[in-house]
Amino acid sequence: MDNLSDRLVTCFGLVFPNLPLDEIPSAAAGNISDWDSIAQINLLSVIGEEFGIGIDFEQFEGATSFPALLDRLREINGRG
Amino acid sequence: MRLSEALRINQLSLAPDSRCKKVQLVCGFTPLHLGTFVEAYIRNRFPGERASIISGLFGDVEGNLKRASREEAQGAVVVMEWSDFDARLGLRSSAGCDSPILADILEHFPATISRLERGISELAGRMPTVVVAPTLPIPPLTHLPLAQSGSFELQLQYQMIGLLSKLCGIGGLKILNESMLASRSAFRDRRDVNLEFHAGFPYTTSHATALAELCVECLYPPIPKKGLITDLDETLWKGILGEAGPSGVSWSVESRSQAHALYQQLLASLAESGILIAVATKNDAALVREAFARRDMLLKETQVFPIESGWGAKSDSVARILRAWNLSAEDVVIVDDSPMELAEVTAKYPAIEGFRFPHNDAAEAVKLLSMLRARFAKTEVHAEDRLRLESLRNAPSINQTQSSGDPLDFLAGLDAKLTLKFGTAANDNRAFELVNKTSQFNLNGQRYTESEWQAVTNAPGAFLLTANYEDRFGPLGKIAVVVGRCLRNKLYVDIWVMSCRAFSRHIEYHVLERLFEKFGVDCIEFAFRPTERNGPLQEFFTRFFPHGLTAERFELSANVFMALRPTLFHEVTEVSHG
Repeated sequence: MDNLSDRLVTCFGLVFPNLPLDEIPSAAAGNISDWDSIAQINLLSVIGEEFGIGIDFEQFEGATSFPALLDRLREINGRG
Repeated sequence: MRLSEALRINQLSLAPDSRCKKVQLVCGFTPLHLGTFVEAYIRNRFPGERASIISGLFGDVEGNLKRASREEAQGAVVVMEWSDFDARLGLRSSAGCDSPILADILEHFPATISRLERGISELAGRMPTVVVAPTLPIPPLTHLPLAQSGSFELQLQYQMIGLLSKLCGIGGLKILNESMLASRSAFRDRRDVNLEFHAGFPYTTSHATALAELCVECLYPPIPKKGLITDLDETLWKGILGEAGPSGVSWSVESRSQAHALYQQLLASLAESGILIAVATKNDAALVREAFARRDMLLKETQVFPIESGWGAKSDSVARILRAWNLSAEDVVIVDDSPMELAEVTAKYPAIEGFRFPHNDAAEAVKLLSMLRARFAKTEVHAEDRLRLESLRNAPSINQTQSSGDPLDFLAGLDAKLTLKFGTAANDNRAFELVNKTSQFNLNGQRYTESEWQAVTNAPGAFLLTANYEDRFGPLGKIAVVVGRCLRNKLYVDIWVMSCRAFSRHIEYHVLERLFEKFGVDCIEFAFRPTERNGPLQEFFTRFFPHGLTAERFELSANVFMALRPTLFHEVTEVSHG
């Protein structure tokens, strides 16, 4: 796992404290009952804080899994 | 506090039986991060306790107020934004902003204000409540230049001030200070438009954390400090007394020492509200007296006790002051311009909070004054606060009289009058304050929030006993509080505190005697817990339990009490109601 991925795992741990660490990389809204719209906003807000980026919610539309969020972050990181 | 930190705090594990603070968060938007931060700040304020934040429905602040009033909780925070008064004042509405619309908003505004006033009043009658007036700007709906205030906005603000002024007079209700909020959250950085559109939460994280912190501070204010020890040279005044002489030290705009005048003014104001002020200075005592005799001193010598002038270590002066005040170091702050003196004092008394007076930086000095004001802030000043200094001044002569003869003769000669009152807690804020600030003669050290206090004093079979004391040395005011329950011929005492100013007068025996008589019980059970500081209470009970108190609950029988209590001399009057 790279640094970006590690930091995203930390964000997931804060928003989904009951999710075992080893399950985070495969986490998706469909397989976590706590992952509702409020949790999604919380997760994106924590990600924004952790990575120092202003979250554009439309840009993250549909990013409801760990891999998808990681991809978006890599895109932003690549642009930055 | 960052959002991630708040989430971490809220996830800290606690004992399953830990107490829980249940707080209603009443607002018309999705509470989201505001709820997270309120929970985290409550948990920071009360380590080891849970916090449960209850919120209502989106867009229905009036309904949420009604629902909150029906729920059991220990407190409420009501956060109103302009869109709660009229949805057309929010960014999520696009109903138009032509003249008829604005006129319609103004027409309906008073009715909404009245309904909210009723809802908030009802809620505040049920639980301690903090009200937050709109923190976000009114959207630019009129044709006026943005730099100009117009009639529409001013009329809305005028009505809002009217609402807040009315609410301000309601007991148990506090209005959040907008100026203080502005100092922590800049107006331009408050709104998160994206989050508002996307999730119905209008605040930036930085605004949410600032708002939550202040709301919790307002709902659960910190326990104020009780005494301030000040240095003189380059602190209470500009200049060195030993060099410039009493007429050469200054505190005025003209002599570029206005910060010292403001400091004196603050200390005088604190003294008036019952805060103890003492001086610890390395100076000649005669010169200090001469300086205090200056008519332009804003802090008068009568407002200061004791004045410790000498050449020894400052920590020795502090030790004598603490003894004279009968206070612990943690109840006190010290202000001195010398970092070395502060270090010397705080090395000996780590619990004392030390502040350096920045005598060569007026802006920093003014900041210090705000910090000091905050340390001593109290919501109410009681008659007893004004009696405190006088009774302490009398203490040396009382002690001298006491040590020069038979203690019983001393007590008999006090001409003491004790007024015991069995009443309700509803309007007795002094009793509540005494319970929360007394440490030495305190049955268990338990502190209470307003709602917890209401709950314990309104429990089935509960009674509240307060004691006022006066003797030939002067009145001490309300100095003791007992809260307990009488159930099935047994008396349970859950709270018992007595001010340290009332020690050595056998008031505690009178109180117990009256409890046995009044309730006709054979024994009293005490909810005792040893604390680091309730030694004086434990010492009192050793008369009846020579081997000390071993159990956390213990019983004292009427027979043992009557057999071992000393002779009592005070004239006791009982007031039953009110």
